[in-house]
Amino acid sequence: MPKEQFINPDEVRKSSWIKFDDIPVNQYKKTIKEEKDNYTKDDFMRIFRDMAIIREFETMLNLIKTTGEYMGTSYNHPGPAHLSIGQEASAVGQAYLLDEEDFIFGSHRSHGEILAKGLSALYKLEDKELLKIMEDFFDGEILRIIEGKQKDAGNVKELAIDFLLYGTLAEIFARETGFNRGLGGSMHAFFTPFGIYPNNAIVGGSADIAMGSALYKKINNKDGIVIANIGDASMGCGPVWEAMSMAAMDQFKTLWDESHRGGLPIIFNFFNNQYGMGGQTSGETMGYDILARVGAGINPEQMHAERVDGFNPLAVIDAIKRKKEVLENKEGPVLLDTLTYRFSGHSPSDASSYRTKEEVDAWMEQDPLEVYKNDLIEAGVAKQEEFDAIWEDTRALISKNMKLSIDDEISPHMDVKNKPSIISDLMFSNQKVEKMDDREPDVLMPKDENPRVKQIKRKVRTALQDGKPVPKNRMYQFRDAVFEAIMDKFYVDPTLVAYGEENRDWGGAFAVYRGLTEALPYHRLFNSPISEGAIVGSAVGYGLSGGRVIAELMYCDFLGRAGDEVFNQLSKWQAMSAGILKMPVVLRVSVGSKYGAQHSQDWTSLVAHIPGLKVVFPATPYDAKGLMNSALMGTDPVIFFESQRIYDIGEMFNPEGVPEGYYEVPIGEPDIKREGEDLTILTVGATLYRALEAADRLEADYGIKAEVIDARSIVPFNYDKVLESVKKTGRILLSSDACQRGSHLNDVAQNISELAFDYLDAPPVVLGAKNWITPAHELEHFFFPQPDWFIDIIHERILPLKGHVVKNSFSDRQQIENNKLGV
Amino acid sequence: MAVPIIMPRQGQSVESCIISQWHKKKGDKVEIGDVLFTYETDKATFEEESKHSGILLDIFFEEDDDVPVLTNVCVIGEEGEDPSVFSPHAAPPAPEETKAEETQTPQEAPAEDVQVSEAAPEQTAVQEIEDKKIRISPRARNLAKDAGVDFTKATPTGPGGRIIVRDIETLIDEAPAAVTQTSKVVSAQPAVSALEDYEEVKPTNIRKVIAKAMHKSLAETAQLTLNSSFDAGNIMDFRKELKTKGEKYGVDGITLNDIVLYAVSRTLLNHKDLNAHFLGDSMHVYNTVNLGVAVDTPRGLMVPTIFNADRKSLYEISKESKELAAACQAGTINPDLLAGGTFTVTNLGTLRVESFTPVLNPPETGILGVNNIAEKVRSSKDGIELYPAMGLSLTFDHRAVDGAPAARFLKELAENLENFTLLLAR
Repeated sequence: MPKEQFINPDEVRKSSWIKFDDIPVNQYKKTIKEEKDNYTKDDFMRIFRDMAIIREFETMLNLIKTTGEYMGTSYNHPGPAHLSIGQEASAVGQAYLLDEEDFIFGSHRSHGEILAKGLSALYKLEDKELLKIMEDFFDGEILRIIEGKQKDAGNVKELAIDFLLYGTLAEIFARETGFNRGLGGSMHAFFTPFGIYPNNAIVGGSADIAMGSALYKKINNKDGIVIANIGDASMGCGPVWEAMSMAAMDQFKTLWDESHRGGLPIIFNFFNNQYGMGGQTSGETMGYDILARVGAGINPEQMHAERVDGFNPLAVIDAIKRKKEVLENKEGPVLLDTLTYRFSGHSPSDASSYRTKEEVDAWMEQDPLEVYKNDLIEAGVAKQEEFDAIWEDTRALISKNMKLSIDDEISPHMDVKNKPSIISDLMFSNQKVEKMDDREPDVLMPKDENPRVKQIKRKVRTALQDGKPVPKNRMYQFRDAVFEAIMDKFYVDPTLVAYGEENRDWGGAFAVYRGLTEALPYHRLFNSPISEGAIVGSAVGYGLSGGRVIAELMYCDFLGRAGDEVFNQLSKWQAMSAGILKMPVVLRVSVGSKYGAQHSQDWTSLVAHIPGLKVVFPATPYDAKGLMNSALMGTDPVIFFESQRIYDIGEMFNPEGVPEGYYEVPIGEPDIKREGEDLTILTVGATLYRALEAADRLEADYGIKAEVIDARSIVPFNYDKVLESVKKTGRILLSSDACQRGSHLNDVAQNISELAFDYLDAPPVVLGAKNWITPAHELEHFFFPQPDWFIDIIHERILPLKGHVVKNSFSDRQQIENNKLGV
Repeated sequence: MAVPIIMPRQGQSVESCIISQWHKKKGDKVEIGDVLFTYETDKATFEEESKHSGILLDIFFEEDDDVPVLTNVCVIGEEGEDPSVFSPHAAPPAPEETKAEETQTPQEAPAEDVQVSEAAPEQTAVQEIEDKKIRISPRARNLAKDAGVDFTKATPTGPGGRIIVRDIETLIDEAPAAVTQTSKVVSAQPAVSALEDYEEVKPTNIRKVIAKAMHKSLAETAQLTLNSSFDAGNIMDFRKELKTKGEKYGVDGITLNDIVLYAVSRTLLNHKDLNAHFLGDSMHVYNTVNLGVAVDTPRGLMVPTIFNADRKSLYEISKESKELAAACQAGTINPDLLAGGTFTVTNLGTLRVESFTPVLNPPETGILGVNNIAEKVRSSKDGIELYPAMGLSLTFDHRAVDGAPAARFLKELAENLENFTLLLAR
């Protein structure tokens, strides 16, 4: 909503036509003879060799999967193998001009891309650099395995080729010596020192992550381009469209400052093998006819889209060369439709029931390895014997590394038996890193001059002053606390960026970011499209590329729109990378009320269920600032819940108020907000204040002193304080605004039952919202836990209160009936 | 052949003992002479040594359980033998205490009893009253156990008729008799003190008994203390002689305190109101002196009794008081020897106390505190002279005795001690 851009009704209401430029389809027509000036014989032969290595690598896997052996060596590989036999030319052609600064992100079918990119990068790297990479990686663990096993002992490139083949293969075979300790496997293998970034088993999953990586490069002025290698069928995935539109945002070219202006350096490359598993994209499941057409729908530049013949490596090289220039001229993003065909099935279980033998044969007739070889022979570049020699070398190479990677002595699986915490130790990186880069942060003014900062300075940092409530306008509120932590970090960590819907100008839908617009240039704070998948997905890419990011989803209810990005990407990559990648991403979501069924849900339980995410839900300004500070100091993904009900609340618990300086509230530690002896109440989020009201009444009316504990964090969670309290009181009521069924608090209650059973005077009781839709604001008090409910449920299920008459039934019968009805 | 080990009866007045510690656990190998468990009465702690060897097949009571005397506590036997026939829990719960007599010889449990108990309906942990299953929270059950109350007697007020903590607390409050002296009723009072650097020490049984007795004494009697002193020159000379020349006669261990005890035993019968029990409506005035002697032990204050002290020689009193003190120190004192006193002597003189107010040991009417010896000044025909003065503090129950008679006792006692060798000759 930039005010400087005037939407002129006279302009936009004018009659005109949208014009499209022609989109090139397989326009590369050069012959080998014509290319002889551009490639040496070595170049031509290296292209062939790289294709041969991929072909043999995939063939080996195919034989293992289908016959259980390769060249006389037996092996059973139970894991996945999505092979790309037939697609070698497209991979090698793409990688040919890329170096280690250029990042590729891939799909489930990316062995070929890994090898091609790796071979290209290692060819370009100096021997010294290569040796350093191999020495540094896992302290030379892989290098020790493969060194001394080369034909030419002093040849570092040869060594590096073995390194690449072995590391990839060991990863595919789930060996601890693989590139990612075997935790990623076939569909996720990667090796960042060669610019090979995570491959993704979710179709199209790499689109928004790669876009985030491109954002990282652009915002932090890093060299290189980013390529999202995804399949043709991923064009059916919403997040892919989201990623392309976000990559094409006008603001890059109109609003970002001079030094950051221009398009994102990203190619959305669709390796178009024309099938999505068994669905034929063009002709059956999609309607684009030719995939490249889609570029025309994204932006006026039509994403510089074109179809390239992926069966001709030189055609692909040519395309990448031209598109790289486009990106270097800051005119991205680019869409490439790299046409190819896989001879192998989708997976070994593929019976090819969806295509005919004739079709496969017709494509095999044009097998790039044969056609390209014959063209080279015909053009007099090389002789058949030279290709035969390459094949022989390649088979020996693959055979050697296959044998090494399946040797249980040399390449063991992770020893989970003797090191039971080996995987759990990788779930979080738990590091404290103040800033992800050392340069001066880009800001527009000194922090002290910021109008919001000045305004906050004048505020009273407690809810009470001299025993009297501080007027709202003069009181330091919850939203100020969140702002303050974030503002401080923006002036410390130059990589920190924040984006989401309405983050700039508006200041966030709930005014947390008010003041940030004045402080930060566009490239550090910007409005995203309404694309929750791409917001979170790009944050994942930004984070794993080395930056720190705060993404915001406005309403927790919109998490569903970012389901894959939160559940499969944000949460998984640290562990799937065996700790190589860090994920310093804070995802802010707010829990609403007043706005009905799709704007009022507490979904802490959904994210708490997913391993690999930290989840916090502060309810006081002190905790909000302290937890945000911890989240922004850490290197783990944190889902940061905020309640819209209490953005304007002041600090009631810390008598000193919220400190102006830096402090942390450790993630995972609950806090006793009120001490008591007779009953423990554990709350999550804004329910705290209703629990306190109930506690007041319990004491006044029934002489029962409740101890009220604010969970503050959901994952991780230290039970010590809660157990200590329960051992004292013997009774616990757990409450949050999450719907009762499946609420994470049931999990907490179960743990308490197990850990404090002998101390319990009643079963732990969970009080959640109803298992309904959230009704309108006027009826909300029938839906969310109310102070009355606390007292009623205590009376009925924990400790009957003398003379109490319940208003809401929490009887056994009611519970059984509700469950029977699924409500 | 498995044999049951019973809770011994330590003195006629003892009805039950508390197991303070198990030294063996179920399944352990036991040799003759091994300590099986220690147990305590309200006054002393004992060790139960095994008189059998074998395997400790079963344990029927846990630490802190109050076990009626002569009840089977555990069973020693060979591996594979069934100890359950000896279980005191196997028998239907005796509704009245009068059944105690019948269970006095459990070690002779005859074979037919085995069949009877097998045929009898099983009394397991699930207790039922009028076919209604008792529901009780784990916390309430634990509190009942710790407090030693029978939770089946609690009135449930929890949801669905569950017995919850407050029901057990009510039970404890309403029927304190139901609580044994081991009760560890958790205080519901909040810890409001700002003093947080402390260790919580659970009072021992004996401490609790002392606390109760002392408080009762001060609360229920009209006690006051008279202080006096006497010239200890005579007894000090005598004590010196005993020490230097007494070995041959075995009297070298006689202490000043023994001498005081002897003097008290010989003076009291002239002042019988102080050798008495004041019982409110009546007063028992005794014709023999059973002298209580306060002994400081690691467990707390204990007061064993020298019976018929007025008829015992100085040597006998001395010997007996040492034996009693040793038994108290060791915790092996026969509880019967901790009762029956008619007057008590307590000595803090060795701890340099010059004067104090001993607390009566009701229903006794008097207690004598013996203080240190300090030099005092008096005038004599040669002018001022120093002499060693030993202090005496007599606390008496004014309900039973008036001030003047009490003072007269003190005066006579002082004179007897100043002329002790003459008293001894009598």
